[in-house]
Amino acid sequence: MRYVIDHATTYGYDDDVTDSLGVAHLVPRALASQTVASADVEVTPAPVDLSHDIDCYGNTATYFQVTQPHRELVVRGRSDVEVTVPAYDETALATPWEQARPLVDPSLPGGWRATDFALPSAAVEHTPEARAYGAESLRPGRPIGAAVTDLMHRIHADFEYDATATTVTSTVAETLRERAGVCQDFAHLTIACLRTHGLAARYVSGYLATEPPPGKERIVGADASHAWVAVWLPGRDGGVDEWLAIDPTNDQWVGDRYVTVAWGRDYGDVPPVKGVIFTEATTSTLDVSVDVEPV
Amino acid sequence: MTVLRDYAATVTQPTLGGAARYDEVVAPDGSLRPAWKGLAEVAVGITEADLRRVQAEIGRFLSDDGVTYARPGRGHGRWRLDPVPLVIDAAAWAPVEVGLAQRAELLNAILVDLYGDQRLLSEGIVPAAVVFGHGGYTRVVARPEAIDPRPLVLAATDLGRDADGAWRVLGDRAQAPSGIGYAMENRRVISRVMPELYREAGLHRMEPYFWALRSALIQSAQGDLADPRVVVLSPGTHSETAYDQAFVASALGFPLVEGSDLVVRDGWVYLRAPGRLERVDVILRRVDAAWSDPLELRGDSQLGVAGLVEAVRRGRVRVVNGLGAGVLENPGLLPFLPAACEALLGEPLRLDSVPTWWCGDPDSLDHVLDRLDALTVTEIDGRPETLADLSTDDLRARVLAAPYRFVGQERLPLSQSPTWSRGGTRAVPVTLRTFTLRYGSAYRPLVGGMASGWLDATTPTSKDVWVIKASAGDADQGLTGVLPMTASRSVPMTVPRVLEDMFWFGRYAERVEDLLRLVLAAHTLAEDFRTRPRSTGGASLAVLMAAVHRMAGPPPAGLEDGAGAYDADFRSLLLDGGRAGGVAYGLDGLRDALRGVRDQLSPDTWRAFGATDRAVEALEGSRHSHQVAESAGRMLSGILSLQGVTASMIRDPGWHAIGLGRALERALQVCHLLAATTTERRGIDVDREVLNALLVSTESAVTHRRRYRGYVRPAGVLELLLMDAENPRSIAFSLAAAREHLVALPASTGSSRPERLLSDLLDELAAVDVAELVTIGGVERPHLVRFLDVFQVSLERVADAVAEVHFASGPPPRPLGSLGLSLVSEAGS
Repeated sequence: MRYVIDHATTYGYDDDVTDSLGVAHLVPRALASQTVASADVEVTPAPVDLSHDIDCYGNTATYFQVTQPHRELVVRGRSDVEVTVPAYDETALATPWEQARPLVDPSLPGGWRATDFALPSAAVEHTPEARAYGAESLRPGRPIGAAVTDLMHRIHADFEYDATATTVTSTVAETLRERAGVCQDFAHLTIACLRTHGLAARYVSGYLATEPPPGKERIVGADASHAWVAVWLPGRDGGVDEWLAIDPTNDQWVGDRYVTVAWGRDYGDVPPVKGVIFTEATTSTLDVSVDVEPV
Repeated sequence: MTVLRDYAATVTQPTLGGAARYDEVVAPDGSLRPAWKGLAEVAVGITEADLRRVQAEIGRFLSDDGVTYARPGRGHGRWRLDPVPLVIDAAAWAPVEVGLAQRAELLNAILVDLYGDQRLLSEGIVPAAVVFGHGGYTRVVARPEAIDPRPLVLAATDLGRDADGAWRVLGDRAQAPSGIGYAMENRRVISRVMPELYREAGLHRMEPYFWALRSALIQSAQGDLADPRVVVLSPGTHSETAYDQAFVASALGFPLVEGSDLVVRDGWVYLRAPGRLERVDVILRRVDAAWSDPLELRGDSQLGVAGLVEAVRRGRVRVVNGLGAGVLENPGLLPFLPAACEALLGEPLRLDSVPTWWCGDPDSLDHVLDRLDALTVTEIDGRPETLADLSTDDLRARVLAAPYRFVGQERLPLSQSPTWSRGGTRAVPVTLRTFTLRYGSAYRPLVGGMASGWLDATTPTSKDVWVIKASAGDADQGLTGVLPMTASRSVPMTVPRVLEDMFWFGRYAERVEDLLRLVLAAHTLAEDFRTRPRSTGGASLAVLMAAVHRMAGPPPAGLEDGAGAYDADFRSLLLDGGRAGGVAYGLDGLRDALRGVRDQLSPDTWRAFGATDRAVEALEGSRHSHQVAESAGRMLSGILSLQGVTASMIRDPGWHAIGLGRALERALQVCHLLAATTTERRGIDVDREVLNALLVSTESAVTHRRRYRGYVRPAGVLELLLMDAENPRSIAFSLAAAREHLVALPASTGSSRPERLLSDLLDELAAVDVAELVTIGGVERPHLVRFLDVFQVSLERVADAVAEVHFASGPPPRPLGSLGLSLVSEAGS
């Protein structure tokens, strides 16, 4: 599938901001299953500085600075992306999950790199409750593909999608207690359930193209940024390692309607836009508009 | 008996059961170690009484130099320095020096690898969890394009001696190593209090090392800048090692800045000078990496510079040490250093570390769990104290929950050295902090260091470290051809924060001085009249006390009543730092303002506090009333010495800010004094006595006598204190001085608001008719009351306007979305 994506984040302030510095993750990654025909990031008002760089996980990070006084800041990422359904090695999926733990067996090919995603991170604390929840899926000897898919089904079944239940800083413990959340919370929870058992799992940020209800027009700008999880599959017999991408929010493996932008240990590594402002303003508004248009 | 003989006799006695420690001074057969043999002639003669005297002198020197060390949550305390140095001879030092140089080179190579090719990790030489699981690993600088070839410029390594006398590494400090300033200060003090021993020793002087450090920092700048700007970035005056930071800054002649003094524009770092930005090329960083940039590191940090990481990645500023260096402060690395050394340098590691087991390795984990009682268990990036109180079972559970986060380390029977403690000398364990600098293309250890004698497990006292030269002709620090530097102070820096601290220096110094004079005048009256409240003197005393309370606030509740009330009040003014407006409070404010600009000021500045501290001690130790006057007088002399410090300052904006603060404060204080003493009629005798005291406390008595022949009346006093442009204590004089200083500040334009307000005040004052002011209505002088009220408010307004125009450095950085946020549409699905 091919998509043209337009993701605009608009901040409004009640007073002048004299200096804004920001980092954006809005340029999709090039992958075996994803080709990026074009991508750019536009900041308004005109920035004095805007540059792209590749971060330690291979994501494109865009740094910018706006120094003219402004009461509205727009950060807009546009891209043109072709996506196919990722293919996974069947033997890798059939490996018992216990054999995919980089801390237990650091000599696994690629294991040293995956270690970074097997340790706790700021937004993914390791709690006994997350471990217990994950244990029901991670039964001894179970193939990793099946175990992880089962965990995905359970989270989808046990947790309610509720945008009012959590905030951007909600913790795994809160999600488990509330039994509700949004995609980011489900991704963090899934990661915690896997990491507490020694598996490596990363947070993936991107888009999911939505289909309009039958007979209705597609509404422009009504899409949203999305987040899911990828689990490490060690390479077998000298082969390269892979990452199985699953979407606990929609209870499915990631397919050709998913556009991958960036990944990291958790949300904190790859927010679409983050920044620092210098201002006397006391209130601000945030407006996010995402359009994923099939072409 | 002398101290050394006593000591030798004690330590060579066979001990029962206790672990045998290596003794730094005395060999097992009772003879002196080689390092001490050269000193024997002088050292053996030192008696207990000598050491007691030396210890007292050390205290005085450190107090005069204002040397402090802050423990978390406990404020600044005195730095502790032991009179007995740690002495090491050239032969014993040589292998340590080679080992330290190699170690720094290795640590640098490890940093380059961990943030670049990651060969150590991909080849399994260092387990990935040791690095990725460590809080110091800074992913935002782990980018191929951002490789800094020399991330480690200054390293510190802590050493301890095993029972066999071999030095072993206890740990490395690379984030922002502290202590070299303390080491230098220790040397300064010890060389002065034990001059004979110091001369006899023939040891390496430290100054050339500072010259080399300065030159290394200058050379750290990217490209071929002719005159790179180097700054020392401090977390602020409340930092544990604020003294050390300021010492280094001023010894090197680089300005001490805080995060808010710097700004990033277009990927470059600038100093926020008034009206312009000055580019910064090298930052000696004393802020931990995590707090260095609220954009890409901790978003809640107010200590950093937003955009710094990006400037570093682009190679536009050099941060020393590199932002990723904290990962080296990691005991988990220790077991893997020998292999890393072979892999990266192709040579065996020379300095052994204290035996360490990383629990992420199953065999090592078993080893540690089997010996939990015998080993010290620490988190790879935590402080050991946090685990110290756990029971063995709790500790085991903690380790098992995340083994890769822990190491077990053997406890060395550290060597011992004679150390002054509780009025005598005893043997205590010592550790040695060493420093290693990248100078040119090689690493050079400081020949010396800072030792700590451990009085108990958590209480160190520092010791100077003497490395004796092999022959008297050896170059100090083995450095030849380093350019000596003469700068004893940083280049003046006029960022708004510095001007503000200077301004408050002026205000507090003046406020304390004026208050002390008033206290002295009041105390004189109290000595005579405290028991005769109905006498003329008693009434005058009441008026003066009201003036004191107007300036310093009322006495706190619960003070003594009756005849002792006055002294209790005076003591509270002089001693109680919690009494806002009091002398002690003002001194704290003054010290705080000065700490922020320590690098800009003469070291003599701190003598003032040496004097006030001793006056405080004397007052605390004596219950006699005359001690109040005695101590207040000594405090006054201390504070007056600050006038000498400012007199010899360069006439830069900082100096003018001090002058402006002083002048405005003086005018304000005179207003307060006049309002408290001259606005009411209390009968001729009382009025005369009050006015006399007023003249004394404003140092205008002599002038008044000369001019009015001792005929004291309100009009004359007002003339002298309000209008007289010749009297440096008058408001007219102060305002004229304030104007001169104000126009010299960089942001003054000739028409700025503070200049306009001040000019209005001067006009208003010129138009005053003293005869009208003293007109009486009832018991009051209503014109005078109104005039002083209005004038005071106007003065405060000038001070506020000065702050707004000259000290404002803009709003602090805030994370996007941290403001009261109303969501228009939802992100995330």
